[in-house]
Amino acid sequence: MPEFFMYVTNGIVIGVINAISAIGVSLIVGIMRVVNFAHGELYIFAGYFSYHLSISLGLPPLLSMILAIGLVFLLGLLMERTLIRPTYGDEMYSLIITFVLSIVLQNAALLIFGPYPNKPPNLVSGATNIFGLFHYGNQRLLSFFISIGILLSIFYLLKKTWFGKSIRAVSQDRQMSSLMGVDHYRINMFSFGLGAALAAAAGVILAPIFPVTPTGSSSISLNAFVVVVLGGMGSLKGCVVGGLILGMIENLGAAYISTMYRQIFAFIILILVLVFRPWGLYGQKA
Amino acid sequence: MKRFIPLFITLAILSLGSGGWAQDTIKVGVVGPRTGPAAATGKAFEEGIAIALEHINAKGGILGKKLEIIFEDTGGVPEKAASAFERLAIREKVPVVVGESHSSSALAEIEVANRYKVPLIICEAWHDDITQKGYKYVFRAGPANSGVVDFYIGPFVKDNGFKKVAIIRENSDWGAGITERTEMNLKKMNIPFMTLKVERESKDYYTELTKIKGENPDIILAYIYGTGLHFFITQANEVGVSPKALILDGAGPPSLWDNFWTNVGAAGELELFMSSMHEKVHLTPISRKFWDDYKKKYGKDPSDYKTRSIYNVILIAADAINRSKSADADAIVAALEKTDLEVTTGKVKFGLKPGTYEYHQWMPPMLVVQWQEKKQVVVYPKEAATGTLKK
Repeated sequence: MPEFFMYVTNGIVIGVINAISAIGVSLIVGIMRVVNFAHGELYIFAGYFSYHLSISLGLPPLLSMILAIGLVFLLGLLMERTLIRPTYGDEMYSLIITFVLSIVLQNAALLIFGPYPNKPPNLVSGATNIFGLFHYGNQRLLSFFISIGILLSIFYLLKKTWFGKSIRAVSQDRQMSSLMGVDHYRINMFSFGLGAALAAAAGVILAPIFPVTPTGSSSISLNAFVVVVLGGMGSLKGCVVGGLILGMIENLGAAYISTMYRQIFAFIILILVLVFRPWGLYGQKA
Repeated sequence: MKRFIPLFITLAILSLGSGGWAQDTIKVGVVGPRTGPAAATGKAFEEGIAIALEHINAKGGILGKKLEIIFEDTGGVPEKAASAFERLAIREKVPVVVGESHSSSALAEIEVANRYKVPLIICEAWHDDITQKGYKYVFRAGPANSGVVDFYIGPFVKDNGFKKVAIIRENSDWGAGITERTEMNLKKMNIPFMTLKVERESKDYYTELTKIKGENPDIILAYIYGTGLHFFITQANEVGVSPKALILDGAGPPSLWDNFWTNVGAAGELELFMSSMHEKVHLTPISRKFWDDYKKKYGKDPSDYKTRSIYNVILIAADAINRSKSADADAIVAALEKTDLEVTTGKVKFGLKPGTYEYHQWMPPMLVVQWQEKKQVVVYPKEAATGTLKK
């Protein structure tokens, strides 16, 4: 029985982690209709920035995490201004550009940071005995709570603030929101930056648990896309539910069917959703 | 027509190419992963190549010409590996290719080597089939799964009285081959075991570790290569599986990467790994020379033993070309079959009996090393031990 609780707990924790990795993709798709294939690379860069700021420059780990997110946010703004903006209106162009960018960034990471996995310092160490049933890593528990905090902040930002309203207005009707005085270029640029910062947030939170490597980005992007498709393109609630479903199925499937097919479960879900409910759990039917 | 002239000229220049038997240098090809999950091996290879080049060229090169190395990236992907080999064989026209550390890639390369009749000397791809297939142009001067398990891992488990074994293995040719052989050995020795297969890119092992914990083994054989091993060691410690059960890294290098201790922290204490290199174990004078040359060039001790493996096979290739005095593939194969050369891990002599993995195979002696207070202690085999196993 303790094993079962362990699988479920891990499913929930990994689920929230999945959600935070995917939410940046969902945000950018929802608002800008741009699929950012370089999402995983932004995650990896943030992990490396956080590692080098804390280990090479000796800054406190928490400050390094915040600075790393800030740096990737700026990188996101720059990417939008130079590469994405000229592609507005043609989804295929932006798809190709972000795809090429992901390859370029992956190789740049290999060149700059080297091939070895790198891990920023833990904020906490050791493990906690959960209700006397099993041991669970403290860094994982902390990451879980930080992720929940970030998810709640994003929901608040989008639902309750003026900025959130403008973002939603642009995503619903770009032309009409322009007529109402919303500067949609600025909103797009900021949203892309925010999406990049969310990728970075996932990167800095998770790098102490899963050290980053230049080539680790593809599995991160893939997982994020599965969650986004499952939850529904552009739906933030969908991201959380999709992430949790994926985390749960992966863990219970690995436990009771086979550890070998952990990642195949994700693909089976993806295919089933695309066949029976292509707009996802919370997406809007086109 | 005029506008095609530059094109013809370019084509003509390209077709002249830069053959492996060019004027002032002799080119030898190297295949290995410079990108992908095991890109660290590419870095180890680059270092080994640099030292080998300095060593050979300082002694006058090969047949009076300078040795040049062309290192093609395989990315650890069989298709890329096959085309990398093809490029070396067709475009660069190298007389011999060495290297490789992925069994899946090597199994693709040996087919190309045999088709184009270009001798290939593998150094660190362990799958038995690489030599067992009996290809004339394929050699291996490095570990083979059967040798590693039959002579080292199996006896190590038995001699140290381990009672229950857990095997966790990645989904790769190496993982499958070494696991199959280990299971065979354990069955023969009547030692109970469990096996879990995982994806090569796995990051989260909590589910697997919970299953392992339920079986209560006293040793875990981790046949996972690359970053995954660091994740596994850390997580095993978090969920309380290790150090109660010791972990043996069946490959080795990931336990020796510079950032091993940063990544795994205290969880690395008492971890075991396979290696063919140790600071205090020098079987030949050239082993000492390699150590000193490396230290002089890079300002630190060598850690990844694959640096030395690639160095060895370059020496073997150079020696065979020197003796065959030509770029002819058959002459080089004949010379390789008569190899009697001291490298850093002993005296190389290839097996000549076809039908087993020992054909065209020479295996260096291996060591089981344990991290004890961040120091490498050789714990097996007994004749090479520098300390005792801590449980």
